[in-house]
Amino acid sequence: MTLTLANHPITEFFAGPKTLLDGSRLQVDLEELRRYLLEDQRLESVDLEIVRPGDPCRVGYVFDIVEPRAKETGAGPDFPGILSPIAAAGQGTTHVLRGTAVAVVDGGQPGGERGYTSRRGGVAKILEMSGPPSQASSFGDLRHLVVVPHPHPEVARHSVLNALRLASVKASVYLARTAQGKTPDSTQVFDLDGSDYDGRKGLPRVAYIGQVHGHQHGTEVDEHILYGGNARGMLPVPLHPNEWLDGAVVVSYSWGARGLDTYFHQNHPIILDLYRLHDSKEITFAGVVATTSSGQLDELNRNCMVAAQIVKHTFKADGVIITKYAGGAPHSDMFETARLCEDLGIKTAIMVSDTAPDRRAESAALMNIPGVDAVVNVSEAADISWPAPAVETVIAGNPEVETLLADLTELPGVSVCGVTNNQGASRLQSIIY
Amino acid sequence: MRVVHYLNQFFGGIGGEEQAGIPPEIRPGAVGPGRLLEQVLGDGSHVVTTIICGDNYAAENVQEVTAMVTQQVKEAQAELLVAGPCFQAGRYGTAAGAVCAAVQEDLSIPVITAMAGENPGVDLYRESIYIVDSGDDVSRMRDVLADMARLANKLAGQGVIGRPADEGYFSQGKLRSEFVENTAARRLTGMLLSKMRGEAFEAEVPIKSIEPVPAPPPVPDMSRATVAIVTDGGLVPKGNPDQIPRAFAQVWGAYSIEGMDSLQAGEYEVAHGGYDNRPVEQDPHRLVPVDVLRQMERDGLVGKLHPEFLSTTGNSNPLENSRRMGREMAARLIEAGVDSVILTST
Repeated sequence: MTLTLANHPITEFFAGPKTLLDGSRLQVDLEELRRYLLEDQRLESVDLEIVRPGDPCRVGYVFDIVEPRAKETGAGPDFPGILSPIAAAGQGTTHVLRGTAVAVVDGGQPGGERGYTSRRGGVAKILEMSGPPSQASSFGDLRHLVVVPHPHPEVARHSVLNALRLASVKASVYLARTAQGKTPDSTQVFDLDGSDYDGRKGLPRVAYIGQVHGHQHGTEVDEHILYGGNARGMLPVPLHPNEWLDGAVVVSYSWGARGLDTYFHQNHPIILDLYRLHDSKEITFAGVVATTSSGQLDELNRNCMVAAQIVKHTFKADGVIITKYAGGAPHSDMFETARLCEDLGIKTAIMVSDTAPDRRAESAALMNIPGVDAVVNVSEAADISWPAPAVETVIAGNPEVETLLADLTELPGVSVCGVTNNQGASRLQSIIY
Repeated sequence: MRVVHYLNQFFGGIGGEEQAGIPPEIRPGAVGPGRLLEQVLGDGSHVVTTIICGDNYAAENVQEVTAMVTQQVKEAQAELLVAGPCFQAGRYGTAAGAVCAAVQEDLSIPVITAMAGENPGVDLYRESIYIVDSGDDVSRMRDVLADMARLANKLAGQGVIGRPADEGYFSQGKLRSEFVENTAARRLTGMLLSKMRGEAFEAEVPIKSIEPVPAPPPVPDMSRATVAIVTDGGLVPKGNPDQIPRAFAQVWGAYSIEGMDSLQAGEYEVAHGGYDNRPVEQDPHRLVPVDVLRQMERDGLVGKLHPEFLSTTGNSNPLENSRRMGREMAARLIEAGVDSVILTST
């Protein structure tokens, strides 16, 4: 399976009479895009705006951030199971508009806490385009198309969320189709074929197990997570890492944008780093497993066992990196999977995100399991905040949130998109003093 | 900087173990290691008062000694208290930690001491004061004092305190979020490769700090036992009378089930932000099984169901706070004559 990313760095992104890519200049016909998004009859209207690094602009609350990508004509499906019929992702050429993103805003259910009621747990996330918060964010230096879908009031909340998801991938593919047939600035080839042959004898085999949802919060019947499925009753599934990078996985609704972003499924930092080590022949990248954290004990035991067995007997891995979904409860599944892997002789490294509200190291330690001793601690940024930069523009899903965002004096790190991350993208660390 | 220095009888030059019972003596100026201390602290710093106290006297009269040292520091208008270094001397280390902690608390001036890792004073005071790692080699006195002086000068406002390993002090167990050079992904792959190669690596959390909890002995006879239900799943009567928060709960509640055969849906809600509350709100017995326990009570399988259940929210709770609430709950249940507890979680 060979995936080629055709990279088109974008240096200018602006609205204009026709959607087209001219070198590194991306022009978008917002009216045409609006008409396309409004084909979804659940939407009453859509606001579209382009924001750039350094703009005195605040956007909230963010549903998800997606990198604009489109398959070369005939090369395969775009977001199979959501936008395209089910077919394998991860092969052929995918055009990528580097330096840009689609940020979709969730108007929530107006009212409630912070002018916004989300369906489930999670933190209302803000995209900040200027000042120190934007510099601390993975998304501060991107040019964003901000999409604010306004659903008809009678549409049920789960269906609204489905419409937001659809709008996110439609806008992403719409923009990137401008690159079809164009010569990219650079290409990246992702290929694990030949891994078992010459020059790789004796290299350690390393796999990755990543949680793509946490079932402590259930999923909606029409929620898309893996190949369009809602992950209910899902057993761990072995994937080719290319599938993960190429649109097979999007983030689920709960805790969406809180340290998991579809952008970082497409640019998965751990998968990319394992590819780097594979290409430099320090390891052989043995494969990836998509799993979920469980809502019930039987499910936990079953999923952890199956994931460990895949890594041991299908991937024949010597080492594995395991990460969790956002929140606290998914730690249990991650630690149990790591314990089982260590029992099978597979070395593990895992990533926790401590939520210790008293900022005591003792409170950050979640488990003490012999052998599970390689632990990276990504802070949840509970002790980081910035004075809110002055803004001229606030883009929000409803007037209450707009007022609220405009009046903010302080931006807690946990509220800013791209500061915390459970996919390995964050440079935050909880240091023990 | 005006400095007060605390020493034991040995380092104060009075004598060995036979002098360990002497009460505090006050000397003007520097004594013994205090002279070296003045040198390494640099120009402008001098030891104005030295307090020398016997190890046994300090151990047996902690409050008196700490009060006396605090008073001396105050009268000397000192800007820094230095105690030790104490190396492996356990009573000395414990006293040094106590006087430093008291002076810091009461006078808000910088304090510093130094000990070997195995000195009991380290675990007692490392979280509240800076303790330099002296090692156990007394011949390193000058180096240890230099480390203490460097840190003391920073504490006095002349620089930012770095990480424990870089500055040579024992970790205070405090977390601080920082932006570091490598992404978490890089740190993960790096750590895994080190582990697979058998090289040293350092976990970013203190995983060994959680001690295993031994299982208690079985209840001898359940048919005579009073059983209570305790949950950290956050079930509370409608309206949440104790205002238990959905995470980081500092409080717990006790709710009567006296004379009740079951819990009615609609009369309870869930104050817990970490799971999908709907199944419990539809049927509270999924979390607090009053119905089944009543039946077992009638069938004689359990002696008695305690007439209240205890509840809090076990969500992102600091260990120290959880321990406190656990102790409070246990005390209430023991006082009420409860023999056993069914603890339900989510």
